[in-house]
Amino acid sequence: MLRTRVIPVLLLHNKGLVKTVRFKDPKYVGDPINAIRIFNEKEVDELIFLDIDASKEHREPDYALIESFASECFMPVCYGGGITNVEQIRKVFSLGIEKVALNSSALRDKDLIREASQLFGAQSIIVAVDVKRNLWGRYQIYRHADKGVQKGDLLAYLREVEALGAGEVFLNSVDMDGMQKGYDMTLLQTVRDVISVPVIVCGGAGQLSDFKAAKELGGASAVAAGSFFVFQGKHRAVLITYPKYEELEKLFGEQP
Amino acid sequence: MKTHYQICSHCVMDTTDPDITFDEQGVCNHCRHVENVIRKSWFPNPEGKRRLDQIVARIIEDGKSGEYDCVIGLSGGVDSSYLAYMLRTEYPQLRILAIHIDGGWNSELAVHNIEHIVKRLSIDLHTEVINWEEMKDLQLAYLKSQLANQDVPQDHAFFATLYKVAVDHFGIRYFLSGGNYATESILPAAWGYNAMDAKQLLAIHKRFGTIRLKTYETVGFFKRKIYYPYIKKFKMIRPLNFWPYDKEEAKRIIVEKLDWRDYGDKHHESIFTKFFQSYWLPEKFGYDKRRAHLSSMIVAGQMTRQEALNVLEKPPYNAGEIESEKEFIAKKLSISVEELNAIMLQPNKTFRDYPSDYALEQRFSRLKQYISKWRQR
Repeated sequence: MLRTRVIPVLLLHNKGLVKTVRFKDPKYVGDPINAIRIFNEKEVDELIFLDIDASKEHREPDYALIESFASECFMPVCYGGGITNVEQIRKVFSLGIEKVALNSSALRDKDLIREASQLFGAQSIIVAVDVKRNLWGRYQIYRHADKGVQKGDLLAYLREVEALGAGEVFLNSVDMDGMQKGYDMTLLQTVRDVISVPVIVCGGAGQLSDFKAAKELGGASAVAAGSFFVFQGKHRAVLITYPKYEELEKLFGEQP
Repeated sequence: MKTHYQICSHCVMDTTDPDITFDEQGVCNHCRHVENVIRKSWFPNPEGKRRLDQIVARIIEDGKSGEYDCVIGLSGGVDSSYLAYMLRTEYPQLRILAIHIDGGWNSELAVHNIEHIVKRLSIDLHTEVINWEEMKDLQLAYLKSQLANQDVPQDHAFFATLYKVAVDHFGIRYFLSGGNYATESILPAAWGYNAMDAKQLLAIHKRFGTIRLKTYETVGFFKRKIYYPYIKKFKMIRPLNFWPYDKEEAKRIIVEKLDWRDYGDKHHESIFTKFFQSYWLPEKFGYDKRRAHLSSMIVAGQMTRQEALNVLEKPPYNAGEIESEKEFIAKKLSISVEELNAIMLQPNKTFRDYPSDYALEQRFSRLKQYISKWRQR
């Protein structure tokens, strides 16, 4: 396996997969089961599934849906969406999921991070944060569930979640989401400077060189993307793709 | 009903086609039809190239005002992949839009092939993803209908999308199809009813479906037979019928030039089509589509009869894999394998058991014949 993981992020919406642009206009990209089957054969390192409706609708994870796709995945899977307590995490893990991402609930309930990390181990608890620039270019924490902005400083929040035991931070840029123009490198570098847990960067990847830049210039330990793995060409034609292993080895200079 | 078994002395079609007839030399009606009718519009020779040059010149002329001259379909299979390659290399000035339908059953091979084709040949791609919850409901309805042709939901969606995207959205006048006589000149009508019949599709969904088809596109008789061909002047052309198309040679070329990967039998780029052609049809109906395909290759001179018979010695599906394939099909359709097996055991039906536009279609084609005769006078 590569040291720098390259992770497709799949968004669940109405039982299907979608891809958004700046968190809006979800475009239907297909059925999770078939997408997984293709990603399996393409030997993908890891997958992240985010249910983008659960927190918005104040409901629990859809366990039946999770079970149906978790059993198909050959690779480690992270699930996020609607988790509010450790019992739910336990249930999600029992379905064959390796990691969970806490986003809305992490903002509300700091104890959940600590408790989950102690119970299940830090390596299985990811704190996901969606970041949006305000009119003055200042980074703010965005709450996708109610489209609000969280009061408080992003960097202070990230230091706090690190101290509480988050094993990884999933850093997602709302402004770059779906744009395929490259990651927000300033954001990544700023965050990288203040925390030491691994950062998975997401939002904006459009070409392979974006992954390389995120690793080498941004210090990301893993790179994630949505559009990059599901769209092709100027008409944004839906077509699942994943770089060949050798291509990634070469890209990251990880020759064996 | 045929009471005895008979196989054509020239190709490998046999009495599994209920409508087959043989002449005194034991040659079947399909072979005769190819010789007497199809040969007149099949030019696998320099004459074909000359005609195709003219056709393409016309397409380019007619396409001047739009963004694209023509549309092609891409499934990842040999025919459409080779067509894309041939058009790109022979007619680089042709502006091509490729359309792909994702019915939820794409194999990794299919998406790999399509990606390599569009990237290496610089062809713009449009994909239409059919909503899976609707597709699943429609496919289950078709399975429950006990009809032979289970590819209707996929095929109908392809054409409905082709019209919507190519004609309505891009104003394209020509569809260049990978369909060809070299590998498909023989296909018994009884083995599968017209996928374009929207009336039948909707009737079956109404009877066996459980959710509303909100986004699934259909194209009705009037639009398909009058609006698109006569008002929008949308035409289908099969360039491979003007070309010395040899399947094995075509495969060699696309493997070499496009990093194309082979997926085995014809049309197995879709996991469902594979199940339907290699298991549903032969097990339930006794129809082995390979027989029609191999017969087409024999009359095209791409295979000997003996080679075809050798292929048919092997069962149409891999007995070691079929159980896991059925498991996957059932899981995708949200039913149990037992339910799928139970559906398989129900009695077969034909398109005549459900409402259809068949009679209307027959009358329309007689009318067209009448008009063309009248015009010739």
